[in-house]
Amino acid sequence: MTDHEQIEELLAGYVLRSLSGEDAAETDRLLSDHVPGCLSCRETLAAFQEVSADLALDAVPMDPPETLLPRMHRELEPRARRRRPVQVFAVAASVVVVAGLAGLAVTQNVRANNGRQEANALRAAMDTASMPNANLVPVGPATEISAPGQEFFYLYGRTVPQPAPGMVYRVWLVAGTSASFVGEFIPDEGYVNLQVPFDPSAHDALWVTQASAGSDPVAPTETDALWQAAS
Amino acid sequence: MGVRETGREDLELHRRLCSGDRGAFDELYRRYASPAYGLAYRLTQQQILAQDVVHDAFMALWRAPEAYDPARGAFRTFFLALVHHRAVDTVRREERLRKRQERASNLEPTHGEDVAEGVVDEAFMGVRRREVRAALTTLPPDQQKVLQMAYFEGLTQVQIAEQLQIPIGTVKTRTLAAMKKLRRALQTEDDS
Repeated sequence: MTDHEQIEELLAGYVLRSLSGEDAAETDRLLSDHVPGCLSCRETLAAFQEVSADLALDAVPMDPPETLLPRMHRELEPRARRRRPVQVFAVAASVVVVAGLAGLAVTQNVRANNGRQEANALRAAMDTASMPNANLVPVGPATEISAPGQEFFYLYGRTVPQPAPGMVYRVWLVAGTSASFVGEFIPDEGYVNLQVPFDPSAHDALWVTQASAGSDPVAPTETDALWQAAS
Repeated sequence: MGVRETGREDLELHRRLCSGDRGAFDELYRRYASPAYGLAYRLTQQQILAQDVVHDAFMALWRAPEAYDPARGAFRTFFLALVHHRAVDTVRREERLRKRQERASNLEPTHGEDVAEGVVDEAFMGVRRREVRAALTTLPPDQQKVLQMAYFEGLTQVQIAEQLQIPIGTVKTRTLAAMKKLRRALQTEDDS
């Protein structure tokens, strides 16, 4: 068996969502390191994904309950008008990059630049956004995505402008007038998807500021906040 | 309506969805709710779970339509994969569904089976469904079985090997052979 046949075996299992353990980990590695640069594997993956979608059609189509669409209509609030209920945040230890093609956390100097990581991170954020009672709050051009019972939220955006040259964005959690620094980032071509852990405690707002890269974080005041999530 | 025309319409609906067009959401729901619900029900075997799967998939689409990248394939491929993934995750969370899965229908085409009255089944999907079922009949039973267990029962390859009491390498080999054969068969159908 050639290496590519082994890879195809893994890709077949991957699109069927049937891998586990070492095979899943190996496939994640391949999707990061090998597949993006291998035309043959990219074509195989795309073809298997189409086959997987076709398999869905073997299931007999069924009308969902008539109550489902009205239920969703009630949740189709204009995205920009959503307001977060009063919500408390705790001191966050760090900003963690969970995605993207894009999100670059200067704090950790990590760039998640492969499709698999991007997809996993995006899916994680969207899973939170899909939870009942999820909160989607505008933070400037980005969105804070949180859900009851989760000890983290996502700062997600697709059209976040680049900071000025030599500058970075900084994320702060705020209690009253006191802001705690949690990390910094530079979007990549507008894309940001950061997971910010928190505990349910005193913080009641999220601020994003802009500062010189490499400078010591100095606690801002509200007037320094470029964007903020209103509580 | 052909697959390509439907694909173009889906792209336009997705473009409108990205700008918050509720009408586009409703049209995509009209097109995909029935196959999505049928798929979710086949995996979960419970209406309430299937309903939640479909709800979550459509709401995820509404909240982040950018998750679909048209450059990576058809909308149908993206959305039904999203539904399948969520259904598999649901099945794995709901261990109590295992017993019900044993009653699930297998992959063999169900002769004489009609789409339920009232179900919106786009013409192109009806045609594709027949092509898929025809392609499935070309698979040896042992390959059909591993596909059934992986795709419609949400089992991992390790679990399949344990249940069938065969080496996991055999599960992998059968899975790959089945996927390649379906790929060839369905590509041919695409080209015809």
